[in-house]
Amino acid sequence: MAFDILITSLINGSTYAMLAIGFSLIFGVARIVNIAHTAFYMVAAYCIYFTTYRLGFNPISAMLAAIVFVAFLGWIVYLIFIRPIREHEQAVLIGTIALAIALQELMLIAFTGDYRTVPALIKGFAQIGHAKVFYQQILTFGSVFVVLGLMRLFLMKTKLGLAIRATAQDRETANLMGMDESRVAMMAVIISVGLAGVTGAIIVPLTTIEPFMWNHPLIMMMAVVVLGGMGSIKGSFYASFILGFAEALVVFLVPAGAFLKGAVALSIMIIVLLIRPAGLFGVQFEEER
Amino acid sequence: MLEISNLTVCYDKAMIINDISLRVNEGELVSLVGPNGAGKSTTLRAITGLVTWQKSIHRGSSDDIKLQGTVEFMGKRIERTPAHQIAAMGLIHCPERRRPFREMSVLENLKAGAYLLKSKKEIEDNLRQVYELFPRLKERSHQVSGTLSGGEQQMLAIGRALMSNPKLLCIDEPSTGLAPIMRSEVFRKIKRIKEMGITVLLVEQEVSTVFTMTDRNYVLSSGKIIAEGKGEELLKDEVLRKTYLGL
Repeated sequence: MAFDILITSLINGSTYAMLAIGFSLIFGVARIVNIAHTAFYMVAAYCIYFTTYRLGFNPISAMLAAIVFVAFLGWIVYLIFIRPIREHEQAVLIGTIALAIALQELMLIAFTGDYRTVPALIKGFAQIGHAKVFYQQILTFGSVFVVLGLMRLFLMKTKLGLAIRATAQDRETANLMGMDESRVAMMAVIISVGLAGVTGAIIVPLTTIEPFMWNHPLIMMMAVVVLGGMGSIKGSFYASFILGFAEALVVFLVPAGAFLKGAVALSIMIIVLLIRPAGLFGVQFEEER
Repeated sequence: MLEISNLTVCYDKAMIINDISLRVNEGELVSLVGPNGAGKSTTLRAITGLVTWQKSIHRGSSDDIKLQGTVEFMGKRIERTPAHQIAAMGLIHCPERRRPFREMSVLENLKAGAYLLKSKKEIEDNLRQVYELFPRLKERSHQVSGTLSGGEQQMLAIGRALMSNPKLLCIDEPSTGLAPIMRSEVFRKIKRIKEMGITVLLVEQEVSTVFTMTDRNYVLSSGKIIAEGKGEELLKDEVLRKTYLGL
């Protein structure tokens, strides 16, 4: 039992981490609260399903195609839909909710509401005590760390990474250093949505695909961002695993706990907002005039 | 080098800058002084494209920003040019309240300042130069900039601006909030920057030190330029001294 809880919390935690980091990135750099973030994750999952079963791609190329397609979709949507309203927070909020629902309905029309699955990349499992660890779970967990490690390298070592961090901290000053703020914001959107696509690609063998699969991760992701501190990537990382663990504990230990999944996240969110509104690693944004 | 003609900036219905003209010649150290709220910072923001930028991001919202008149830098009109392109032309703005990237180390801040430079060697050279000018920054190079003292943050802000090889450096209120010793230190460094051949436009409130080091000065009050000239000339004017400079 303890081992099951551990595995579930690590897998869920790493999914939330991937999603929340992308969400934080886009918020930090472009000040966009992208409610549709997890909808892109759903689109990536469907994209893999479609390319695998309808087009006969092998699993790896299906994943790559999904990531590229989702990043491209995010870019197009940003250009025609989000950028014109970017500075109007309420409009962005409403717009991205609408976008998420539109994507959900599109998937519902295209693929119906049936539950779909894709096969694991590697089959089989290891038996540890009474618990089963699927090789796919280990693979997923490992890939999350590789992706997050690469992401960190990108942010810390490349010029674009530097511009992204600078813009996230103070976009006016970043502008004065010659960084093209609107181009940096666009790159951040592509990377962030691409990361949602990667999450979908990595997680898809472990989950069922359906048009409403973006709802729960969205709530968890919001709770993670509130707990970790808005705009803090480090905070999102730790908070994801804390929430993943809390969620797994409730699901396994409380009778009918699976129904309380959403409640765990929301309760933690409310408590954090009451006690420490800035979150664990909250960033204080320099006030802009 | 820099020529501003009939510049007017309005935020909503408030006229912040009213028809001002000023020029900075190559190699000069020119100051723009005046009391709080005179429009000094807005003038700099208009020159370096931040007003244009603000205008572009507030497009469609209720507060309306107007910018009229012309700004010419090295013979090119720049009043409609985006801020990052102005920076690329070598007109660098070291902003008010220092504004370091607080979560980054001193070194990363300086590298962000060198964002426009392509060659690694040039960045290294500039880094050496900045460290020479501000040895304190070298000692603190791996410290997170948010934890630096006010004076150190000011040095970092100037150092960061120097990293991109500015032709004209605009420094906004570098002495504000600093202890007297730190102030004179910062002013000494600005003098050295001028001696390095960089043209400087300095915005300040504190005039007594500034007037001793500048080539020319403009006095701004309520959005208008009310006097211009060398420091000693301006100080001779009794009314100006008492009313606007607070001396």
